Amino acid sequence: MDADMKYLAYIVAGIRNKPGRNLAAAFCFALIAANLFTGQYLIAGEVGSVDQGVNRMGADLLVVPSEYTQLLSGAESDDTMAIVAVLPSMYRFNRDILSEIGTVQGVAGVSAQLYVQAVSVPELSSSPIDVYGIDPKTDFTIQPWLQDPLSDPLGTGEVLIGRDIRGKVKDTIPIAGRTYTVVGVLDRTQSEMDHALFLSMDDALVLASAETAVPTDVPTGGPPIASGGVNAGLVRVAPGEDRDVVVSRINRLGSAADITVIGRHFSLDPISQNLNGLPGILNAISAIVLIAAFPLIALIAAMVAHERRHEIGLLRSMGATRPIVVFLVMAESLSLAALGAVAGIVASLVLLFVLDAIGFLNSALQVSFRTPGAAEIVVLAGMAFLVVISMGTLASVYPAYRSSTMNAFDAIRQGGN
Amino acid sequence: MIEVTGASKVFQSGNAEVRAVDDVHLGIKPGEFALIVGRSGSGKSTLLGMLAGLIRPSSGAIRIRGMDLGSLSDDGMSKLRSREIGFVFQFSGLLPTLTALENVMVPTLFSRGEAGTRARALELIRTVGLSERANTYPGTLSSGEMKRIAIARALINRPSLLVADEPTGDLDVDTEDEIMRLFRQLNREGMTIVMVTHNPDLVEYATRMFRMDRGRLEEWTDLHPGTPLRGSLPI
Repeated sequence: MDADMKYLAYIVAGIRNKPGRNLAAAFCFALIAANLFTGQYLIAGEVGSVDQGVNRMGADLLVVPSEYTQLLSGAESDDTMAIVAVLPSMYRFNRDILSEIGTVQGVAGVSAQLYVQAVSVPELSSSPIDVYGIDPKTDFTIQPWLQDPLSDPLGTGEVLIGRDIRGKVKDTIPIAGRTYTVVGVLDRTQSEMDHALFLSMDDALVLASAETAVPTDVPTGGPPIASGGVNAGLVRVAPGEDRDVVVSRINRLGSAADITVIGRHFSLDPISQNLNGLPGILNAISAIVLIAAFPLIALIAAMVAHERRHEIGLLRSMGATRPIVVFLVMAESLSLAALGAVAGIVASLVLLFVLDAIGFLNSALQVSFRTPGAAEIVVLAGMAFLVVISMGTLASVYPAYRSSTMNAFDAIRQGGN
Repeated sequence: MIEVTGASKVFQSGNAEVRAVDDVHLGIKPGEFALIVGRSGSGKSTLLGMLAGLIRPSSGAIRIRGMDLGSLSDDGMSKLRSREIGFVFQFSGLLPTLTALENVMVPTLFSRGEAGTRARALELIRTVGLSERANTYPGTLSSGEMKRIAIARALINRPSLLVADEPTGDLDVDTEDEIMRLFRQLNREGMTIVMVTHNPDLVEYATRMFRMDRGRLEEWTDLHPGTPLRGSLPI
């Protein structure tokens, strides 16, 4: 030390004085920080996934043929499927109706879907694959599920495949005697979409009318698909618009007799159900760790203060005022908390990056984990740091107060080196 | 320097009251070296704590350089200790992770923050004869050397009064003599010293000697060569 004595030097010396004990205390703080940071990091990533899910489940209304109503009641058992892709159905209506619906006030988007058929392709899937036609330009329910966005719109001879279909981007796969190139793979939806395949509407019509169509396990059984026929229209309602009002507006259209508009009473819950449980669990774990750790930290702080009674008594005899004693005791505790918090956050961040990189988070959480951005990580780290610092402060307040008010002379005479 | 008027200290021990210091009157002039001897439990250390402002008297008054300690707040007492009083205890209380030099500088944290404390600390370490050990850690010092560093530490803020509580209690005879000669040297340079000990043999180093018994203080002798023991007190 070349300069005059500074408080920092004294605090550092105090920490170095009992390295084992202080390392243990810092380790406690590190565990708390790591727990908090990890929990909030996972929650943030999961919330990101849910946000993505919200985008993926953009249909607010479902337009189906009027005959479809009965079938839809069965569909409610699988809301997820209903909201992103129509169920296999023989009923269709002319897609021109959708163009009309697109002009209705309060409608932000309309996209047609056509269920073609279910095909058995053992080399791609052990179960039948549902084949759908979508309009790549207007689709807002299927393409948001892509693991990687398309660089170009879905074109002729190109398909998007569900997660359970064996294949990857650039693979060529045979369907009904034709070959298609996989240009996108969807994330897992936990629905029948995982066994589905999507192609452009033109390709779908070609496939449907093909004389070489392979036998299907789930025959459509209906009339041949006419050009312009679709099974459903998925409608997105403009933000701030009342869905019921929009439904009544659509129902007032002249062509409304051929369709039924169903307001989405099915919510996003099915898909986010297993996600929603996770924040609760993580928050509960964080809360338990905090509650359990606080008395431990307080006990350590009290033990440290008690152990240093002699030293603190000496400081008092040298002229340290009570506020200075409080400052020194708390500063040491805060230093340990800060060291521990930084170590815990850095260690957990490294671990999370590694786990994310190897795909462990995706598989463990069963979601497409969205890695929080740098700014979000800084905020989360800052929050964890502040919580740990606050904890260190709170835990050391009483020991610091006791240290400052103890009988200094007795403490000095109780021994030392 | 020190004026004590009818100071008492009563402690509560269960239902009983223990009068550790009982109606003590005392006057110490600047430059004196007062030795207070007494058996364990006689109240001498309590009295020392009172003189240093670490223990408030139950009754009576204590003045240090004219300042009534009873009128000072706790912080005021701390500041007075920082400015006017240097302490030496039986245990040196050196922080093992600070060098001898750093240990000597610790009390400057609580003083007015004047510059050049490092140079003064080095000068004091030289005064106590440990220049070559300034940058070593207490773990490598002998008990006598640690005590001398503690004395240097007590002097760093230029106190007018040095208070010592059994400073040689844990030392061998040679080291005790070494420390006492240092005290005498400081006293001859003008430092007022009040020292508590259970060893009356140290009387040769002091200019005045008091005996404490059951909380009562008596001056035993003024110890000037050729002067007979004064005997009866309180003064």
